[in-house]
Amino acid sequence: MTMQVPKLPRDFGFGEDHEVLRDSAQRFLAERCPLDEVRRLADDPLGYDPGLWKEIAGLGWTGLMVAEEHGGAGLGALHLALLLEEMGRVLLPSPFLAGALAGAALSAAGDVRWLPGLASGDLQATLAFAEPEGSWEPGDVAATAEPGKNGFVLRGAKAYVPAAASANLVVAPFREPDGAMALFAVELPAAGVVVEPETGVDPTRRSGRVLFDDARVGAEARLPGDGAAALAAAFRLGWTALAAEAVGAAESTLLLTRDYAVDRSQFGRQIGSFQAVKHPLVNVMIAVESARTLTYGAAAAIDHAEESSEIPARMAKAAASDAFHFAANRAVQFHGGYGFTIDCDVHHFFKRALWVRATLGDAIHHRRHLADALIDPS
Amino acid sequence: MQAEQEAPEPSEITEFRREARAWIQANHPGDPGFKLPQSFLEVESDQQFDYLRDWQRKAYEAGYLGLDWPVEYGGGGRPGLQRIVGQEMARANTPFFVNTIGLQWAGPTILHYGTEEQKQRMLKPLLSAEEIWCQGFSEPGAGSDLASVQTRAVPTDDGWLVSGHKVWTTIAHKAKWMILLARTDPDVNKYAGLSYFLMPMDVAGVTVQPLIKMSGEGGFNQVIFDEAPMPRDALLGELGQGWQVAMTTLMHERGAAEGSGGAEIGSAGEGVRRVAALAAQVQRDGRPASEDPVLRDRLAELWIREEALRLGSQRARMEGLCRERPLALRLMNKLVFSEFAQDLADLSCQLEGPAAQLWLGDANAPDRAEWPRAYMNSFGMTIGGGTSEIQRNILGERVLGLPKSK
Repeated sequence: MTMQVPKLPRDFGFGEDHEVLRDSAQRFLAERCPLDEVRRLADDPLGYDPGLWKEIAGLGWTGLMVAEEHGGAGLGALHLALLLEEMGRVLLPSPFLAGALAGAALSAAGDVRWLPGLASGDLQATLAFAEPEGSWEPGDVAATAEPGKNGFVLRGAKAYVPAAASANLVVAPFREPDGAMALFAVELPAAGVVVEPETGVDPTRRSGRVLFDDARVGAEARLPGDGAAALAAAFRLGWTALAAEAVGAAESTLLLTRDYAVDRSQFGRQIGSFQAVKHPLVNVMIAVESARTLTYGAAAAIDHAEESSEIPARMAKAAASDAFHFAANRAVQFHGGYGFTIDCDVHHFFKRALWVRATLGDAIHHRRHLADALIDPS
Repeated sequence: MQAEQEAPEPSEITEFRREARAWIQANHPGDPGFKLPQSFLEVESDQQFDYLRDWQRKAYEAGYLGLDWPVEYGGGGRPGLQRIVGQEMARANTPFFVNTIGLQWAGPTILHYGTEEQKQRMLKPLLSAEEIWCQGFSEPGAGSDLASVQTRAVPTDDGWLVSGHKVWTTIAHKAKWMILLARTDPDVNKYAGLSYFLMPMDVAGVTVQPLIKMSGEGGFNQVIFDEAPMPRDALLGELGQGWQVAMTTLMHERGAAEGSGGAEIGSAGEGVRRVAALAAQVQRDGRPASEDPVLRDRLAELWIREEALRLGSQRARMEGLCRERPLALRLMNKLVFSEFAQDLADLSCQLEGPAAQLWLGDANAPDRAEWPRAYMNSFGMTIGGGTSEIQRNILGERVLGLPKSK
């Protein structure tokens, strides 16, 4: 990783189109995904609302970063970040993020075959970025692809695959006999591929294991180009996207707690007037605002200096994971006995914070890589 | 890792930046060969003062100070360009400006509230460092509770007589002027009874006594007023408007408002990278500190905070990206920056391992004991200008909307 922090436009590239997208998303999601709906979908077998998915596709969100010639809107990472911030704000249960990550990998690999389907929402794709024994890093892949008759034989297990059960296309990295990594896109269902739903800590985030048990796929399943580079690009976008969603969710968590600290009285005073409550909430606000800054910076880096966006994207994910967790931790505590119950909305946010932290690397993990860049630049 | 956040920018700014960079390179005063203070808070000897004042005068005469201020008051009349100079000076690691209190606190307040005569009289010699400014806000009994100041300004036929005791007064020993918060009406509520003055320091009845900081450094004082006379036109703003005027000063002091005459306060730069380089040079447990995984984690954490500060000052100028709480980034700047600087200095001491116990003057002290000194001096930033605790009250109440602490 280079030590260089990329050049960014002084306005982060933010313009009117960003503003319009964010405002329309905020209005739409506030109306269509209130917390009652989150509660309902948390207990739903599918875990999301297919009708809402169609509406989201109709708004052009599923093709947000897909190039226009392939049916998308051709917008950038800052657009995606602002949209995901709004989705995080309402804890939208949706396979949206999975599709965005798969789309990033496909686009980076230069494979356009599935992009129109992704953009229209007809195709629900996911990116299998982790393995059961693996790490949070893109290079750590044990699953193998062996050339066979008319194609490849895929072997190995992928874990924590977002929206695995509802996906009809999975993009996943495999190691080829020469040790190089290649990306494959496999339409589901497929012979030799088993999807096992996982029970996640956050019921608004569905995931599963995808097991490739001597799965025979055609040669066309292998994506062209440098699989490692494409996956790394998808990770940079993924860190930024997760950070954006976390910032939105952390914002809601902070406001929920602020409102409670204003409404709730003890000892004849609003508890928000006690500095033991007020000062930690200010610390939460600072953490959230700092994470928001870093997230916009990472998105702008992807839009304007993609090749040097690793440091900003890791910083964003580290800061947002920690800020959201901090917000959720204080939210439970400051809601007191009520906050500890399933009747209080705070637990939805707390569980999402645990999911965010465990997905695509927590702060400790990213700081380790950032320290490598800072102290021993290659 | 050097921040290149300025690109792309309009070509006239790029041109100006290039000129400024070239001028700074040609005119950097260099290492004076004696101990320089770490900031304007610790200017002690005549030697230090003269060196720093020369540098400010030179920068002003070359047109690199007061750029944002109107030409008729000695400024450059080119709003927005002072920031560019600040960035370039930070990059070149130039000395600070000795009249920081004038440039950043008094000057913008005078521009805001001053009469035409006050602006004509005060601003130019402030920019050139011909006249140094200090700040008379805190008193022994009025620190965080600033509105309780007891120093009195009693009206006379041609002005006021000031009596009282101001404390923790940076650079009062060199100051020609003081921005003074004093009580003009003891019979109304504590806020309404205050007025704000531009107080001359070279009059009878003003005694400046040095206070020594825990680092052993000076630059700090207390000021005793014993019926010290002020002319009538010393009043800045209206009679009884002192609290409001003081809040304007504090907004500038905390870096929460634009329009400073000099470099910006609280702008994060290269600190973590410098400390990372130090970590590679100092030994802990028989190996370079930079190989210690715990210290590496702490360094990365601070790097993230530094980058959030740096990008945050950029984001603060983008209304569309600050919609949640438009004032937050500006109001939290002083708190976040001062705590970052303190944590960085603290970590730097820890990196040094056993050598961290060596102090100024010891030949074996890493970085000439800069870091233990910086750590001690960092409390000037977390206490001065409103403590971190007061900042959290302000942010909690004004930005988050929490009820007032009683």
